[in-house]
Amino acid sequence: MKILKSIYNLFFVIFFSLFINIALANVNQLNDYYKTIRCLVCEGQSIQESDTEFAINLKEQIQKKYDSGMDLKTINQELINIYGEEISFNPSNNHFILWFLPLLILVIIFFLVRNKYRKN
Amino acid sequence: MKKSLILPFVGLAILAICTYFFINKSEKENKKNIALPSLLFETEDFYDKKTLNQKDLGKFYIVNFFASWCKPCLAEHPLLMELQSKGIKIIGINFRDDEENFVQWINEHGNPFFHIIRDDGSIAYEMGLIGVPETFFIEDSEIQKKVQGPLFYEDIEKYL
Repeated sequence: MKILKSIYNLFFVIFFSLFINIALANVNQLNDYYKTIRCLVCEGQSIQESDTEFAINLKEQIQKKYDSGMDLKTINQELINIYGEEISFNPSNNHFILWFLPLLILVIIFFLVRNKYRKN
Repeated sequence: MKKSLILPFVGLAILAICTYFFINKSEKENKKNIALPSLLFETEDFYDKKTLNQKDLGKFYIVNFFASWCKPCLAEHPLLMELQSKGIKIIGINFRDDEENFVQWINEHGNPFFHIIRDDGSIAYEMGLIGVPETFFIEDSEIQKKVQGPLFYEDIEKYL
């Protein structure tokens, strides 16, 4: 009887720690995700750091969706659809114009200046 | 045309094309984000407990997010009363507010709303709200204009 009780206690401890671990992992995953979402009221901060009503509401809505079984990738896409890409601190890579525009302008200036000096 | 001038012109043409597509794309993206959530028509009015019927709203109506704790909401309130007196229907969405404070606020300052919904933040999220007050001008079930912050006379004069 004593052995059975000990086994029962052991199982209880194992299941309890497993449950706590899973819950903590979910909380950590969400907290990490909040760090990638920009607070649109105090733009330099993430919603994890911000205490604005916007950030608090967004965290609650994300939590609700996450608890209902929606994965973070889908939630992220939904957020981008609603608020635009500026909501994310990790924008997509399709902003090639942003990166190559200064280079293009420099090349144009270079050729314009070169042509002018050649004339002279 | 001189041969040496061709390259800068090609560069400028590329620049112009890129800018055109970039502007076009952002306009499309902005339009994609605009949608009226179904929750708006499924949530009961705080007072008469009826849901909204789009036919009752007519062609043009306004959706206004407000809260009793929000001072700028109080500043724009007379304008909402004026809009209501001109027959414009306003859907008021009380954003994350205490019920007692909300009722007191409405009793004190007047009710310009055709339909009032108490929102826990779900409708605000669906409509991309950043803060209160925020007002959406809707025509033919599409959001035509969005005003973040309190309304000014210039924002509404064309509807009066």
